[in-house]
Amino acid sequence: MQFFKKTNINFIGLRFQFFIFSLVFIIGGLIATSILGIEYGIDFVGGTEVGVKFEKEVNTDLIRDAMTKAGFTGSEIKSFGEEGQHLIRLKQTGKIAEQIVDALQKAFPDNKITLLKSDTIGPKIGSELRTQAILAILLAIIGILIYIAFRFEFVFGLGAIVALVHDVLFTLGIVVVFHHLGIIDLEMNLSLLAAFLTVIGYSVNDTVIIFDRIRENREKHKGMNFIKMVNLSINETLSRTVNTVLTVVLVLVTLVLVAGPVLQGFAFTMLIGILVGTYSSIYIASSFVIWFLEKVRKVKFDEETSKKPAVSTVI
Amino acid sequence: MKKIIGKVLLVVLPVVAAILLLYPTYRANELIKMQNEVYELAKKDTSSADSLARIENFEKQYGAELMSAKQNRLKLGLDLRGGMYVTLEVDIIRLLEESAQSDQIDDTFMEVLNKTKAEAVNSDEDVIDIFYRNFEQIAKPKRKFLSDYFDFGGESAEAMSEEKILQTLKSNEQDAIDQAMQVIRQRIDKYGIAEPTIQKQGARRILLELPGVTNEVEMRQLLQTTARLEFKLVKNDEVTVSAFYAIDKFLAREAKLKKGLNVQDTTNAAQDTNLVKAKTDTTSNLAKNDTTKADTTEKTVAADTTNPYAGLSEEETRKRYLEDHPFTSLFETWFIPKGKNQRPQMINYIVDNFPKGDYNFHIYEPVIKKFNQIISRYEIKELLPYGTQILFSAKPQINKDNAGKEIKSYNFFVLKKEPELTGDVITDAIATYDPQNNQPIVSMSMNDEGSDRWAKITGENIQKRIAIVLDDQVYSAPVVQNKIIGGNSQITGMSDPEEAKLLKIVLKAGALKAPVQIIEERVVGPSLGEDSIKSGLTSFLIAILLVVFFMALYYNVGGIIAVIAVMINVLLILGVLAAFQGTLTLPGIAGIILTIGMAVDANILIYERIREELARGRSIKSAIDEGFSKALSAILDSNITTFITGLILFYLGTGPIQGFAMTLMIGILGTLFTAIVLSKAMINMFIAKGATTFNFGQPKSLTA
Repeated sequence: MQFFKKTNINFIGLRFQFFIFSLVFIIGGLIATSILGIEYGIDFVGGTEVGVKFEKEVNTDLIRDAMTKAGFTGSEIKSFGEEGQHLIRLKQTGKIAEQIVDALQKAFPDNKITLLKSDTIGPKIGSELRTQAILAILLAIIGILIYIAFRFEFVFGLGAIVALVHDVLFTLGIVVVFHHLGIIDLEMNLSLLAAFLTVIGYSVNDTVIIFDRIRENREKHKGMNFIKMVNLSINETLSRTVNTVLTVVLVLVTLVLVAGPVLQGFAFTMLIGILVGTYSSIYIASSFVIWFLEKVRKVKFDEETSKKPAVSTVI
Repeated sequence: MKKIIGKVLLVVLPVVAAILLLYPTYRANELIKMQNEVYELAKKDTSSADSLARIENFEKQYGAELMSAKQNRLKLGLDLRGGMYVTLEVDIIRLLEESAQSDQIDDTFMEVLNKTKAEAVNSDEDVIDIFYRNFEQIAKPKRKFLSDYFDFGGESAEAMSEEKILQTLKSNEQDAIDQAMQVIRQRIDKYGIAEPTIQKQGARRILLELPGVTNEVEMRQLLQTTARLEFKLVKNDEVTVSAFYAIDKFLAREAKLKKGLNVQDTTNAAQDTNLVKAKTDTTSNLAKNDTTKADTTEKTVAADTTNPYAGLSEEETRKRYLEDHPFTSLFETWFIPKGKNQRPQMINYIVDNFPKGDYNFHIYEPVIKKFNQIISRYEIKELLPYGTQILFSAKPQINKDNAGKEIKSYNFFVLKKEPELTGDVITDAIATYDPQNNQPIVSMSMNDEGSDRWAKITGENIQKRIAIVLDDQVYSAPVVQNKIIGGNSQITGMSDPEEAKLLKIVLKAGALKAPVQIIEERVVGPSLGEDSIKSGLTSFLIAILLVVFFMALYYNVGGIIAVIAVMINVLLILGVLAAFQGTLTLPGIAGIILTIGMAVDANILIYERIREELARGRSIKSAIDEGFSKALSAILDSNITTFITGLILFYLGTGPIQGFAMTLMIGILGTLFTAIVLSKAMINMFIAKGATTFNFGQPKSLTA
């Protein structure tokens, strides 16, 4: 079986169109994010979250009323996984998990209520985790930049980082919008953060595969026009780029559909991130390298100069 | 032939190793099942000696094996098996505040302390370092030194040097943290939690993982009780009451000065007649009383001719009394006469002349805040008898007000600050019931030194009261009837037997030097854990099936080999997790499932490369060699970048995230091994048999 016979798609020729597309999408996502705001889970802001299971399904409005009557104002209620399971969230911390269960049991006496889970995060931990999250993302990016710059050349490291930041922002926009539209629960908590970090680690993979091929082809086809060579490399690796992503996508789709509410947000975010990561490996990372060499390093890649081994001397 | 044996071994050995590592997990599960059966059976027919023998038999035969299997098995995280995850922080600020000499604490010190507190919130820096930096900034310019506040002296009369004090503070801090770990471990052990994890995190935090615990309330009490038990002399005497009188005068004058009125002491004008009025109807008074005492005073006073408010209307008298007694009107003062059948008398503060003897102070909850505000002022503290402190009773009395609403009230005690005896002399504690009233009590026994001192203390204070204080709350304050020899004492005032049981545990485990605070708490109920395991397993199976299907379809035999390699990889991940005492969490399962998707990536890279080489017309053998060697750099580079993020997640993450990062990293290492070494060995095993073709799903024309 073979999805792609020998291809010769002009990926690089379309680079400006895709630059614009990504730019529009990312800016749109950022605007949406700044308007809608990222909804942080209690991991990052502190508070109490209690997961309860009602034996018989209860309307969330009724639960909210019962909570208000019991003196817990400002509670947020969401459904959680299976029927009858709800998450109740409050700003307060302290000994309230069992108070909530007691109050609900009083309000719904003929509906057995069990405590599934409860998380209480002090505001101190919350702010610490936020700092740590930002630190983790920065460190990951720096670590990858250093590694790729070391294994390839600095400009490729830059290309990989641009693609990476692109993936994170792109994914963030989609996550915020999807969460806001209520399609899937994607509030920013620890597992979503882990998803973003994994995306950072994984989406580089495809980029690295293409860069690896460029590195190899530069030795093999000395004197070939750099743009052409990049295009050739992308075409040559297309089949493995698609197939490697496909297996991971298969797995992630399974997780989204089957693994239950705790992992759903994580798997969905990774799914988006990895699809975006593949797109950026093909259309953004190498294109950025070309753009950077042309505009910043003032290398000319037109047919005449390409006779000389321009790239290997300049980079 | 030799070559093949080497290759077979290469494939078989890792599998055997993984199975060996996972065997204890399997065995533990089996033994636990057997154990449960035996105990179930024993429960059903308790009468027969047979079942007991069976239990004994089981324990004898398998007990040791079960223990070791449990230790080496793959542990499930709290999110899968249910339980409680707690992060505690040792309160070093409190430790600092308490180790300072209380009579020296002033605004400067508090300013330093508050700044330290604010800074410590977002930093893992040593709190004592932060404190000293702030101290140098704020206190040093005011010519204050550590020796002004801390006195760890002893040997010499001279004050210790600043460095030495700083050193002592630091070693106290370390002691407090280490000791907190130890005490909490003991408490948890005594409470009976199987397989707890207790870890120090950062400079002053303790991480606890308590499998199976779902009773948050009890756990919180168990962890947070400092359990500092002290025996203190009660100083509720005429000197104290007289000091309260002085506080009234001070506050009244201050209020008048503020109002700009002439300072004229009305109460002084009154003669030194004893105006103490006996109030006979004590019980009804309690119910009627409206949180302040003005009501009753007015009644008792109005009738008296020698009182300073004579001739004034009731309302005016009441108003004036409240103005003159802003402090003592917050609570009730009862004089307890010595005689046996005499009832306590309520006392007012019109004249500074109080009967010698013992007093009780009773305060209602709504005014406690105001009361505390007053007594926390430095000027007021100085008016109280030297070396005393005020503490409240642990358990409130519940009263009903006129509207039938419940109001809590407390007794408070003026105590000698220096304890006569502390809880470290306690050797044993038993939770039991008071035979007289059937109330839960904890009775304690002391070591020899404690017993001697207890005997001496009780001997010297016959007919006086000694308060039993736990964590700055007075549990009881019995009158010493006679010298107690042998060191037995009791704590009463617990609301239920559960509380007595917890108290017993914390007393036996010892006191914490500094209080600890729960800053993070996660509880997972057992049913959610079961659901998670179920959905985790289901998605694992579906994911594997999908990947197998795709790989076999696209890469044919090569694909199947890749999948076998991935399965071995999964086995290896679990085996390594078990070997390194890691825990399998739900995100960890996600990490493994993700590994399935990612591990075949390496094989895809190799196979695509082999197909490419075949398309160029290479022989199958050289295409395979080329494929593996040329794909290597891409495989390494792409996996190392993912590994870097895994490493960062592991170091910066906590709990479940770490579980995910751990499996991800082990998975990547396993991927490198299985894809580069194992699948090559397997493919070569086919080739070595003399096959000239190998099906990587390449187009027919190329399988030459």
